[in-house]
Amino acid sequence: MRTTPAPMSAPTTGPARTTGSGEVTPAVRAVDACKVYGAGDTAVTALDDVTLDLPAGRFTAIMGPSGSGKSTLMHCLAGLDTLTSGRVLIGDTDLAALSDRERTLLRRDRLGFVFQSFNLLPTLSAEENITLPCDLAGRRPDREWFQTVVDNLALGGRLSHRPSELSGGQQQRVAVGRALISRPDVVFADEPTGALDSKAGAELLRFLRSVVDDLGQTVVMVTHDPGAAAYADSVVFLVDGRVVEELEAPTRDRVLEVMGRLAS
Amino acid sequence: MFRFSLRNLLASKVRLLLTMASVAVGVAFVAGTFVLSDTMAKAFDELYAGLTAGTDVVVRSESAYDADLTTTGGQVRPVDEGLVARVRAVPGVEVAEGSVFGYALVIDSHGQPVQPGGAPTFGTSIAVDRRLSGAATIREGRAPVGLGEIVVDARTVRRAGLALGDHVDVVFEDARRTFRLVGIVGFGETDSILGATMTGFDLPTAQTVLGKTGVVDEIDVRGADGISDSTLRDRIASVLPDGVGAETGEQVAADSTDAVRDAMGVFTTVLLVFAGVSLLVGSFVIWNTFNVLVAQRRREVALLRAVGGTRRQVLTGVLLEAVVVGVISSAAGLGLGVALAAGIRQLLKLIGVDLPTTTPAIETRTVVAAFSVGVVVTCLAAVLPAWSAARIAPMEALRTAAPVNRGSGRIRHAVGWSVLAVGALMLAACSVAGDQRWWTVVATLTTFLGLVFVGPSLARGLAAVVAHARRPGWRMAARNVARSSRRAAATALALTIGLTVVAAVAVTAASLKDSVSAAVSGGNRSDLILEPEGAGMGVSSSVADLLRARTDVDAVVELREWGAQINGDDQLVTAVDTAGLDRVIDLGIASGSLDALRAGSILVSTAQARHLGVSAGESVTVTFPETGPRPFRVAGTFDKGSLINATYVITLSDFEQNVTSRLDQAILLTTPGLDPDRAKERIGAALADYPNVTVNTPQDITRKAQHSVDQLLGIVTALLLLAVVVAVLGVVNTLVLSVMERSRELGVLRAVGATRRQVRQTIRRESVLMSTLGAVTGVALGAAAGVGLARSLSEQGITTVAVPLVTLAAYVVIAIGVGVLAAVAPARRASRVDVLRAVAEE
Ligand SMILES: Nc1ncnc2c1ncn2[C@@H]1O[C@H](COP(=O)(O)OP(=O)(O)O)[C@@H](O)[C@H]1O
Ligand SMILES: [Mg+2]
Repeated sequence: MRTTPAPMSAPTTGPARTTGSGEVTPAVRAVDACKVYGAGDTAVTALDDVTLDLPAGRFTAIMGPSGSGKSTLMHCLAGLDTLTSGRVLIGDTDLAALSDRERTLLRRDRLGFVFQSFNLLPTLSAEENITLPCDLAGRRPDREWFQTVVDNLALGGRLSHRPSELSGGQQQRVAVGRALISRPDVVFADEPTGALDSKAGAELLRFLRSVVDDLGQTVVMVTHDPGAAAYADSVVFLVDGRVVEELEAPTRDRVLEVMGRLAS
Repeated sequence: MFRFSLRNLLASKVRLLLTMASVAVGVAFVAGTFVLSDTMAKAFDELYAGLTAGTDVVVRSESAYDADLTTTGGQVRPVDEGLVARVRAVPGVEVAEGSVFGYALVIDSHGQPVQPGGAPTFGTSIAVDRRLSGAATIREGRAPVGLGEIVVDARTVRRAGLALGDHVDVVFEDARRTFRLVGIVGFGETDSILGATMTGFDLPTAQTVLGKTGVVDEIDVRGADGISDSTLRDRIASVLPDGVGAETGEQVAADSTDAVRDAMGVFTTVLLVFAGVSLLVGSFVIWNTFNVLVAQRRREVALLRAVGGTRRQVLTGVLLEAVVVGVISSAAGLGLGVALAAGIRQLLKLIGVDLPTTTPAIETRTVVAAFSVGVVVTCLAAVLPAWSAARIAPMEALRTAAPVNRGSGRIRHAVGWSVLAVGALMLAACSVAGDQRWWTVVATLTTFLGLVFVGPSLARGLAAVVAHARRPGWRMAARNVARSSRRAAATALALTIGLTVVAAVAVTAASLKDSVSAAVSGGNRSDLILEPEGAGMGVSSSVADLLRARTDVDAVVELREWGAQINGDDQLVTAVDTAGLDRVIDLGIASGSLDALRAGSILVSTAQARHLGVSAGESVTVTFPETGPRPFRVAGTFDKGSLINATYVITLSDFEQNVTSRLDQAILLTTPGLDPDRAKERIGAALADYPNVTVNTPQDITRKAQHSVDQLLGIVTALLLLAVVVAVLGVVNTLVLSVMERSRELGVLRAVGATRRQVRQTIRRESVLMSTLGAVTGVALGAAAGVGLARSLSEQGITTVAVPLVTLAAYVVIAIGVGVLAAVAPARRASRVDVLRAVAEE
């Protein structure tokens, strides 16, 4: 178990959940996922028959050029948006079969989110932001887990501060904390380092890495930064709404190489 | 700049509508009041002009002063009928006829009185020369001749179910008589004069039945062709004795219209007060809306400044927006006002006041008033927000952070709490001291001003308390209120104003009700009290004679009242039988004695005596409209006149010498040895000929008085509710704006698992917090103001102060409930925010 993951290091499997046969169960599956915006002449196919397994206990990056459907894919996987056709499964749960309310509760109890910016509620303190999903569920947060998360994210001293009193990096860590508080099946992060400077970005990525390694969580991250993708266990490449390549144990250079190949 | 403003306005139609509505209601009240009173004046104008159309000159006694129509009925001293011949002899006079008026109540075919609500029931002589009657014509049948014949107005004929040839019973001041209906009178197209019942007789009959034998109330004259009205008037005037005057028909019509307009003055004032309250509420809504708009547009404005817009341009831009809002809402308000006036007219018709039909009078003054009120209020309310917009620095365009509440200055804070404390102390002082009507108003306004300053602190305080709640919905709602505490406070303050007035009215009404029962049980010694039914003008004095003849009745005390001036002030003078007075009522003589009340003397209430600076033995001048000034010696002062609503008491004989009317306002009886219910039954049966008289036990009187207080309270509260509605629109407005402002936050909330219901709940709770703030401050301030007010109305009969806690608590609960309702649409909007759009990176 490493504590300071380096971009160059080999992929590791975290304490994954396993089925009886010992095989790694996907935390999230997309089957023939299609998403079309609009209709007729103006229709845009954002996802084109995407089939994808995202294994539990792993850190997966989704990459691709701008407009390739990364965000759309993530929103559909996370139950924030619905597919035009195809299926998304969180564990055994088929998202398409859920009502809006059920999807909301699923997000609250089984998924976590980190967005590029504007993640936190400005009126709540850092601690209140972290425990928000529990509060919404009317549950008391598990204190031990809360402490573990907070310690991991090195937020100890700033829990009573409002978001406006925190740096961008700290705000994103609070957002990660909130995403983790209900021990979700998956944490989704859409360009979480997009609004951060490189130092804070690197720090956040190390935290995400440790979330997978030390806390056994599953993380799916959208990024267009090859350096960021190198923190992941595997990278999925999207072009024009299609999965075109998957890369295990990525390094920055290998990611760049694939990107170059895909661009040409 | 103008286009920029316009575009901003149209950007949100809902907001525009809500903002406009808040001004429009106030403007509607102003416009409606003017339209109503102008329309009524116009109607009366047309009516009187019609009635006097065939009359060139009117001869009648001069009134000692311009008496209030509502307390004197316009009665002047009748003149000797011999004068008619003298007027007729004046060269140029073609026709001169005397006419008389008086009380005459028609009894319908079921034996019930035809009693219009509020309008008079009168009898008059019918001129022989038909042209003298002007627009009043005999539509069917013929003019009455002799003691047994009568004509009746068409509306009354219809209501009483009468037909030509039927027998009609009429109750007069002195008796009940029977006639045969020979004609039906109409007034142009209208069936009645403002819903009044009119009966007509020939002159000698009218003189007999109306108690005016040998006299006439006026002489109507038509001149020969070719002689001008004014020449004729001057010629006639030269032959008239002192105290009798001649006026042209036109002048009489104009004077009558003016008198009606004066009588409507109170009504107009009350409506304008309501207008003021809703405008004040509306201005808070506007203020708030513009504040929010400016806050939301900070970046936009800063950008404008960065590319070279001057402060002045920004200021003008916002004010321009206010002007447009003001103009549109004024136009809407004006339209609403015309509708409101028509509505009130319909309402008056329902209660029997049949206004002559005429088109609504929309004078230039009304339009000017509506637009200036609307525009001025809107602009005044927008000045501060506009000013703060102008102070936005161009640099702010570059900052991304949402506007945060700038901490209110420490000075503002200190000033606010001091003003609030001063106001509260003044209110307390007024309640203790009593009789401080104007200071109570000043204190209330001061306290309110204090609330305006400390409102944000109160909002934050309330939020801080609620923020400790375990439920995240409450906590988030509280945090949101605290974050925009100024906005929350301004929203709540609009509600505060409405509820202050409503609560003050409730306290005053409750005090009045308690005082009424205290007055009846305190000063009353009578067993039965006879009153005219409904809005009847009075009870025939023959009723008292009938009762005096009975053996089961001991004391019979007649009570009359009339308008007169005391040392120059318009007042009501009460006349009583001195015999038996202290057996039916305890006036609470404070100085002098009841025995000293004889012809030429007067009892004065202690408060009025203090006001006039007179004491027992000194003299006051009572000016009767019919007979002019008369000196009276003060026989004593009294404390407990509220049962009979008396401040000045004279003897019946003095009254009869100075007032023509013989109608009793009430008759107080004692029926020793009889069970009250039994007595009521027996007296009621004895008065079968007078169905317009109600026989009441003291409890009945209390109940009736309390009922009429309740009715009044109901009407006033209903009108004030419009102001509360405006405040609620303000709550909706604030919520909608803040939902729009927070759509990203709400999106995040939804993304991390808040259900739509939870989002709705948060918005609803914000609304509840604001409503609670407004309701609690409003009801508390209103209760305090009400106590001060009640303590200052002792002369109006409020002797005890009662605070209706249940009612006030109900107001708070209702206001909070309304807060929930106000949140319905904004909450729904909040729960439908597009999660993806909200969280998508820019
Ligand atoms: N709400 C929408 N309506 C219409 N088209 C959309 C919408 N959201 C995304 N798209 C289109 O779908 C495609 C994929 O978008 P997106 O998933 O945001 O890509 P990425 O995140 O990889 O930049 C793009 O062509 C984009 O224009
Ligand atoms: Mg994207």
